[in-house]
Amino acid sequence: MKALTANRLDDGEVVFWNKGAWVERFADAELFADAAGGEAAEGQGKSQPNTVIDVYLIDLIESEGLWAPLSYRERIRALGPPNHRGHGKQAEGGAAIEALMHATGASRSTGRVNLIKRK
Amino acid sequence: MYQYDTIDREFLADRAAEFKEQVERRLAGEITEDQFKALRLRNGLYLQLHAYMLRVAIPYGSLNATQLRKLADIGRKYDKGYGHFTTRTNLQFHWIKLREAPSILEELATVDLHAIQTSGNCIRNVTSDPYAGATAEEIDDPRVWSEAIRQWSMLHPEFSHLPRKFKFAVTAAPKDRTAARVHDIGLVVRRARDGTMGFEVIVGGGMGRTPYVGPTIKEFLPANRLFSYLDATLRVYNRHGRRDNSYKARIKILVAALGREEFARQVEEEWEKVGPNADMPDLEIARIRAAFAPKTFDTLVNRSEAFETAKAADPAFARFARNNLKPHKRPGYTIVEISLKGIGDTPGDATSDQMDVVADLGERYGQNDIRITHEQNLVLPHVKLDDAHAVFQALAAAGLATPNINLITDIIACPGLDYCALANARAIPIAQDIAHRFADQDRAELVGELKIKISGCINACGHHHVGHIGILGVDKKGEEFYQLTLGGSGAEDAEVGKMLGPALPADRVTDAIDTIVEVYLRERAEGERFLDTFRRTGVAPFKEAVYAEAH
Repeated sequence: MKALTANRLDDGEVVFWNKGAWVERFADAELFADAAGGEAAEGQGKSQPNTVIDVYLIDLIESEGLWAPLSYRERIRALGPPNHRGHGKQAEGGAAIEALMHATGASRSTGRVNLIKRK
Repeated sequence: MYQYDTIDREFLADRAAEFKEQVERRLAGEITEDQFKALRLRNGLYLQLHAYMLRVAIPYGSLNATQLRKLADIGRKYDKGYGHFTTRTNLQFHWIKLREAPSILEELATVDLHAIQTSGNCIRNVTSDPYAGATAEEIDDPRVWSEAIRQWSMLHPEFSHLPRKFKFAVTAAPKDRTAARVHDIGLVVRRARDGTMGFEVIVGGGMGRTPYVGPTIKEFLPANRLFSYLDATLRVYNRHGRRDNSYKARIKILVAALGREEFARQVEEEWEKVGPNADMPDLEIARIRAAFAPKTFDTLVNRSEAFETAKAADPAFARFARNNLKPHKRPGYTIVEISLKGIGDTPGDATSDQMDVVADLGERYGQNDIRITHEQNLVLPHVKLDDAHAVFQALAAAGLATPNINLITDIIACPGLDYCALANARAIPIAQDIAHRFADQDRAELVGELKIKISGCINACGHHHVGHIGILGVDKKGEEFYQLTLGGSGAEDAEVGKMLGPALPADRVTDAIDTIVEVYLRERAEGERFLDTFRRTGVAPFKEAVYAEAH
């Protein structure tokens, strides 16, 4: 399972693709069971360079019956910084946030390989 | 401190206005991200994990109260009420919106601050001694030279597109508080036998992927020839630095490849061509020096009765005095170090309210002078001993009186994967966990000077290579692992730490630190710091203890 993510251009907010729109909550992200669906969305997402930047697909795993990003980097993006639990998306709380916090299993964010930048 | 003139101020206002227009054009889709990215980075604006990050330059770590209050205000207005002081003595805001960034630059410009040259392959902010002008150890005020280098390097057309970024450190005291030997160029002020002032020039130190302690390429460079020599050094680098491979593009790689003698010879050859016309006129240095003229100090006696009485009556203050107060050059004064390493806090973070408290104290008790250290702490360099207890009480009320300077809980940590797009692993929770383990101040003082430095990736913003104990976060098959090094130092006895053994999972790091400390306490001879013991025993007893437990 995959989801499509990016950062919003005007404020840097982490966003996820959902049927042609960008949403802030991972819980609202569209999930792609097959490669073709994800790649099609990625193509559409990348065609909006004045709305979002750094568009890429992320791998998901199941956590507490919900889906969560596989890599801890992407879970941190979907939640906010672990050192300030009151900052970022995690501040909202709820089952979807809890599921992300409890997710384990870690891997590089495969879709991001081409975006990895040096300082 | 140095004062900007009208031209400087107009320039900063223009630059903010220019950036405003660039942001508007980007948001309107008139320029692409590729075109815009270079422009935003030139103004210190990065995209991190959760938002944009703005890195504000704090020239040689020196601020006045008005500037610190402005930073506090920006933290409140545009961030989440806090900022992060870095190992380059800058301040980073982690929750910045692109559309608001131009307004922040406008506000910064009103107090002579900016974010220029805090990113990109140019000469970055100069590191200097946070005790400058206050310590009796120094033979000159290193801020004079730091400011001169700032003026020379700011928007320098020839050195705005170097092969890679370039960092200076300037110190004038035998005790190096700037990590001069692990900078691209470290300058140590020296005095010749005849009294002439000059510099020991160290070139090609650095951390990151390939750490080096920089070699000295000139034992004594007369001070009045500094800028022609810097021109020559930068020219050799600009010409031969590895632009083909960014991992090998720093000057340290060039110096190591050519060897110290050959690199020095090429610089000398170039220096001949550059000639003294490239030097800064003595009159200009004198003008800059006037801005750092010694403060007016009251004539006091060494012993302050108020200070002694307060210490006797208040054990917490006595502990603070023991660890956080440092000797001042003037009788009756002290240097106050303010730890940004509260137990369980994020190293280097200060809330806007805390910044305001420090600004008020600096203004009221500290001659309006506030410093940032590369170890992510703050300093009030000129406080009367008579006032030290009042300063302590105000700091304590703001959660800023942690008495742990140079102790095991005074940990450097980069933002790591909590914020940084480059990180492989988190640094902050490791620092917090270790700090909790050593929260007992008696034990921390028993252990004594022990510098732990943590980086979340090989770029080494957390200076792990030069930590007495260095911790590097690595991504091992997708998991956060931590590589320990021992015996590093960023001080005058600089050394790159030695690898302890295989990387450890996050939940074993604090236990490993505890074990290392126990081995040190067992092995240490009278008067030895951790570093001394390590240098005597080598890595073996530490390795044995840490990895024996793993079996």
